[in-house]
Amino acid sequence: MDEREIVARCLGGAAGSERALVQAYGPLVLAVALNVLANREDAEDVFQETFIQVFRNLGRYDPDRSFKTWLLTIVYRRSLDMIRKRRRFAEFSERARFEPEVLARNPGPDPADPQPLPSRFLKGLSPKERTALCLWANEGFTARDISAVLGCSASTARVTLFNARRKIKSLLENDHGLLQSR
Amino acid sequence: MASCKVVNILYRALPLQPVRDLLIRTHMEKCECCQAQLASRRDAEALLVKPGDAGAAEALWEMIERRAVQAVRVPEKKAAWLSWEWAAGAAAFLLVAAASFWLLRGVETGAVRADLTRPPERFEIDYINVGGAPAQAFVYQPRGSEMVFVWAGKNL
Repeated sequence: MDEREIVARCLGGAAGSERALVQAYGPLVLAVALNVLANREDAEDVFQETFIQVFRNLGRYDPDRSFKTWLLTIVYRRSLDMIRKRRRFAEFSERARFEPEVLARNPGPDPADPQPLPSRFLKGLSPKERTALCLWANEGFTARDISAVLGCSASTARVTLFNARRKIKSLLENDHGLLQSR
Repeated sequence: MASCKVVNILYRALPLQPVRDLLIRTHMEKCECCQAQLASRRDAEALLVKPGDAGAAEALWEMIERRAVQAVRVPEKKAAWLSWEWAAGAAAFLLVAAASFWLLRGVETGAVRADLTRPPERFEIDYINVGGAPAQAFVYQPRGSEMVFVWAGKNL
């Protein structure tokens, strides 16, 4: 089934169409969220919220536009919301000085269950740069396609991608230099 | 090589998107020396999670199945405040409120002003709505402080 057919079936309320949509685009949505957020739990929340929003608003989707771009726009915005939410909560918990045992209720990832996460180098990039890099490298998006997802002009997207590539190269070279000097 | 240095200096010195875009399009995209300073697609791919590694499609559907079915049954209503009638009403109300404030501000008495500036005796909160639905709310006040933190989280 191609993009248009899957969306048309969903709009027509065909049985199993939601499942087909999630199966077709779920891995892409989760991968983008993981690359932007670098946190499995948050990425899964964004994944769920994105598809719920898609199912509720599918009637507003313009079929003349690319469904993938529309979907990725929602993922990007939801990821930014998640980053803001986490930042607010971090500021709040720091000021409130929670007791250590309260913080300990949220355990870290289970080392026996390794889940793929993006490289630590991506932490040197802003969420916008991470998104641009991910769309360019994984999906082959051009600056114009990226601009549609980020909600900016093509020139801003081009500069964002350029800066991301330059920072990554510099980080990789520094790391390589450190490894060689050891 | 010399032009690369000039372009790089200009790029760093002028943090304006149109200027940077022009430099990228006219020089950096075509220059091998400048391209060597950028991570290649292969470099970037090696650092990123690819859709194939994110998770099995079937498992992802199971993660969302129950909520997805509910979402399809209950489509999101169009936000009423988005309509132009509401926007016009709100603008008119603000206009009247601003005019009233401007006209009546000289009538205030000293007693009323003192009452308005008196600090609240205690903090009260009835309920918190997030996105139109009741939310989980936590209120925290550090000992010996007059600050009150309110943290609200959406009920999922």
